[in-house]
Amino acid sequence: MTHSILLTGATGMVGQTLLPLLTRRADVDEIFTLVREAGYQGSSCKITPMRGEVTASGELGLSAEVCREVMDRVTVVIHAAADTRFAAPLDEARAANLEGTRNVLAFAACCPRLRAVVALSTLHVAGRRTGTIHEDDLIHDAGFVNSYEQSKYEAELLLRENMRELPISILRLSTVLGDSRTGEVGKLAAIHHALRFCYNSLAPMVPGTPDSAVDLIALDFAAAAVEHFATDGFQAGRTFQICGGADVITISELLGRTSELFLRYRPSWRKRAIEMPAIVDLPTFELFARSVEEVGDNLLRNSVAIIKHFAPQLSYPKQFADAQCMESLRAAGIVKPEVSGFYPRVVRWLVETGWGEHRIPAEAMASD
Amino acid sequence: MKRHSTPNHGGAVWRLQEGQDSRSIGPAQAVALNRLQRRRSRFLAARVVRQFESWARDRGDLVDIGISETAYILGSDAVSVEELEAREMLDTPAARLREFGFSCARLSSVPSHVLATAAANKLLKTSGIDAANVDAIFYAGATPQSHTVGTDDPSSAFNYPVAQLQYELDLTRATAFGISQVGCLGMMASVALARDYLCAHEDASRVLCVSSDVLPAGCKREMIYNVISDGACAALVEKNCARNRICANRRITKGYYWDSIARKNEIAAAYFPTARTIIRDAIADAHINSSDIACILPHNVSLRSWEILLGLLQIDRERLFADNIGRIAHVIAADNWINLKDATDAGRLQPGDKLLLFTFGFGANWACMVLEH
Repeated sequence: MTHSILLTGATGMVGQTLLPLLTRRADVDEIFTLVREAGYQGSSCKITPMRGEVTASGELGLSAEVCREVMDRVTVVIHAAADTRFAAPLDEARAANLEGTRNVLAFAACCPRLRAVVALSTLHVAGRRTGTIHEDDLIHDAGFVNSYEQSKYEAELLLRENMRELPISILRLSTVLGDSRTGEVGKLAAIHHALRFCYNSLAPMVPGTPDSAVDLIALDFAAAAVEHFATDGFQAGRTFQICGGADVITISELLGRTSELFLRYRPSWRKRAIEMPAIVDLPTFELFARSVEEVGDNLLRNSVAIIKHFAPQLSYPKQFADAQCMESLRAAGIVKPEVSGFYPRVVRWLVETGWGEHRIPAEAMASD
Repeated sequence: MKRHSTPNHGGAVWRLQEGQDSRSIGPAQAVALNRLQRRRSRFLAARVVRQFESWARDRGDLVDIGISETAYILGSDAVSVEELEAREMLDTPAARLREFGFSCARLSSVPSHVLATAAANKLLKTSGIDAANVDAIFYAGATPQSHTVGTDDPSSAFNYPVAQLQYELDLTRATAFGISQVGCLGMMASVALARDYLCAHEDASRVLCVSSDVLPAGCKREMIYNVISDGACAALVEKNCARNRICANRRITKGYYWDSIARKNEIAAAYFPTARTIIRDAIADAHINSSDIACILPHNVSLRSWEILLGLLQIDRERLFADNIGRIAHVIAADNWINLKDATDAGRLQPGDKLLLFTFGFGANWACMVLEH
């Protein structure tokens, strides 16, 4: 049985890494990528880039002819496109993440050969919940830290509603850091920017408690897991949490380790004698953030704006269960890299490339 | 995380044995006790240290150094933040600065050395100390103008106010020192150095510390969202003084932030975590817990920034002596000592109270002192 795949979000952090994995598979005949950017070509003859938008209802911005042709051929839909801006206004986040999902589902419903719809989500649909979050959990009234969480939660509700009619599986991803072998970060996300602010002495505090757990996963693991659950490991009606699970690091350890790594990979950083951010309660952090908004200039305001839209999650301690996910991945021989192993490589890549501003050969990064 | 502040032993001075190195800090037992404390036996170690010090004090092996008297003089003109805004002396709207706790600034029409002399005279008069019994005078000023008794003649750069003070106050036996380039830390640095001076000079008994700053007429009265006032203060640091005994003294200098304008954002970000580190270190040095601090005598920066710092430290707002932030604003290096004087006069402090004094100075320097009232 071969696959004909429609992939949204091919230019995103996970999409970029997932695409080569899919093209290498002998059972994948073709991959249609839905991209907004003109000029995107893809890197394999299996890839057919199509300019379109998940926010465009009906035919995803494709011409009727192309849309019909793709619908007739697609067997698997991988929906990875999302507006991942934590600070986006809720209506904009909903337009991309909720309505985009609705449009993809409408498209999928018109695919006669459809066998699987795999929707990428986030662990943080759990919002302000605390405690253990199981893979089957969803509905809660704890609220959310940002519009991204809320819009993805609403998208999951929509996906669940459609599980009776369509073969849907939801994959909740943890915070994706970078490649476990090279440390390379495809696209900088909020956590990478936050690390840069720490490095540049622009991150005075983060909310949370010292033992708040930070769940991080490696990019290559995330991509391999998505590939698995979209193909051999697909299970309709299931939700999987692709996350660190029991392998997490506390915020206190993370900050201490980060400081050590900055010093290791940039010894001159010691001269600056920069303190890592203080871990404070949420009201103190919010008072500081409000003060910076009121009087700070753009540089500090930007740093605090980025941190304040995701870091408050640390004030709602939770652990993510991943037993079902790991059972399936283990059976497929997919091993989860430990955070203690890949975190230093990612920090090294960030420091040595100046947060991606200048590239260095991957082989140079592959050794510790 | 390693802590970066420089430890400095408290106000207790071990009497030197014959042939002992004058820089020696005391018997091996004290060092061993400090180690013990670091090994998480904090509570027990603190009790042992206190008992040990008490025993040593009774034997006459331990001499306390404290601050017996303080005095201050402010600029004579009280100008509201709205008036400062009207005079274009602020960067931030007056309404915002009021939200941050400021209501007015004190402006002086006389130069800093005049205020310094007035504050020192007031202190000598109040304390009843014979000027001839002062062993040293330390004079601190944050700005270059505070270190000259100025005329337009370039050679007046050598007309130092500390020498003038020594002469005008009849401090005939006192050696004179100027302390500069530590911004708003000047007075706390002076007191710390006075303590060190008394430790190092067995025959010295008291040091007069004076700080004075007057900003040039018409210049901006705001620095990083803080309203600045003119004023001077004086403190008498004495041996065998149980009043305001110096229990701990910590200081951090971070040269990375030397360019205060270019690194304004980084300083604003570094301020809080570094402040927390140094305050925690000072509290640990004093063998107490943060819950033992009866009163915080702040530098008079914005109330908002203190609320944030107290949040970091998990210390109640009620323990902050904030009466002067609105009333007199940030008097450069004098704030903590003005607040010590006013809190004492207001009956807010009881004998034995542990007081925490914290300040920050451009340069960039953080300093913290723990006193026992």
